[in-house]
Amino acid sequence: MDKPHKPHFIRACTYIWLALIILTCITYAIGETGWSGTAVMLTVLGTAVIKVEMVASYFMGLRRTRWLWRGIVLGWLILVSGLITIAYFKSLG
Amino acid sequence: MINNPKVTHEIHATPPGDLAIWVFIFAELLAFGVFFVAYAFARANNVELFNESQQHLNRTSGAINTLVLITSSYFMVRAVAAIKQGLSKPCALWIASAIGLGFVFLAIKIAEFQATFAAGISLSTNTFYMFYLSLTLFHFMHVILGMVILAAIMLKALRGGYSAENHIGVETGASYWHMVDLLWIILFPLVYVIR
Repeated sequence: MDKPHKPHFIRACTYIWLALIILTCITYAIGETGWSGTAVMLTVLGTAVIKVEMVASYFMGLRRTRWLWRGIVLGWLILVSGLITIAYFKSLG
Repeated sequence: MINNPKVTHEIHATPPGDLAIWVFIFAELLAFGVFFVAYAFARANNVELFNESQQHLNRTSGAINTLVLITSSYFMVRAVAAIKQGLSKPCALWIASAIGLGFVFLAIKIAEFQATFAAGISLSTNTFYMFYLSLTLFHFMHVILGMVILAAIMLKALRGGYSAENHIGVETGASYWHMVDLLWIILFPLVYVIR
């Protein structure tokens, strides 16, 4: 009964894996250019946030659980990335 | 797939694996979260020092290690999918592959640490290196712990200790391993890239 569901799940996770690889390469490429500034920082941090959400939802399977569990990880992610952003703006003076 | 919407849209009351591991995962997220935020605010007070020191990090090895952990995490997804179909041997093989990539991560990190220490850099060199070394060493220890957990699960899978009905152990190990990956996904851009 569960079998028809499997290939779809694996295919979805394979696409997620590919997306994670591509996003990592983008982050690395940005780092190698030596670019800095608010837009670059927000792009790099935003990319990390998307990647974490992908891992939590698909690899960890939280998208198939009650919102409470996904909410804890999402809340943690928003809080940590938000504070990192505030610290970055603080560094700009 | 279309004929079976119940399976496709099933919502579980608890996350995959033993609930105890999730308490541990949330505690770890909290600890690393504090560490990440402390790094960001320490950087805000020493921007030039952090930016200058960051230039000496090996960004390529950091990026390769990100790819390694993401792929290793994906292998654990496949291990869980295999055991859910009652395939013990393929499950053990996927876990072994995940552990193998864990060793690759450790080898790259050890090489990075060796180069850092060979350059005369230590925890007391400056605030940036204090954070860089302690954060990455803290994460390094979690990778080792994760590999030990995965090895125990792999051996049990090889002995036929899991089945399509009883696979909570594999999900527990996978959840921990995904957390190790998730933390590195933030650590890499924060310490190696953002300036």
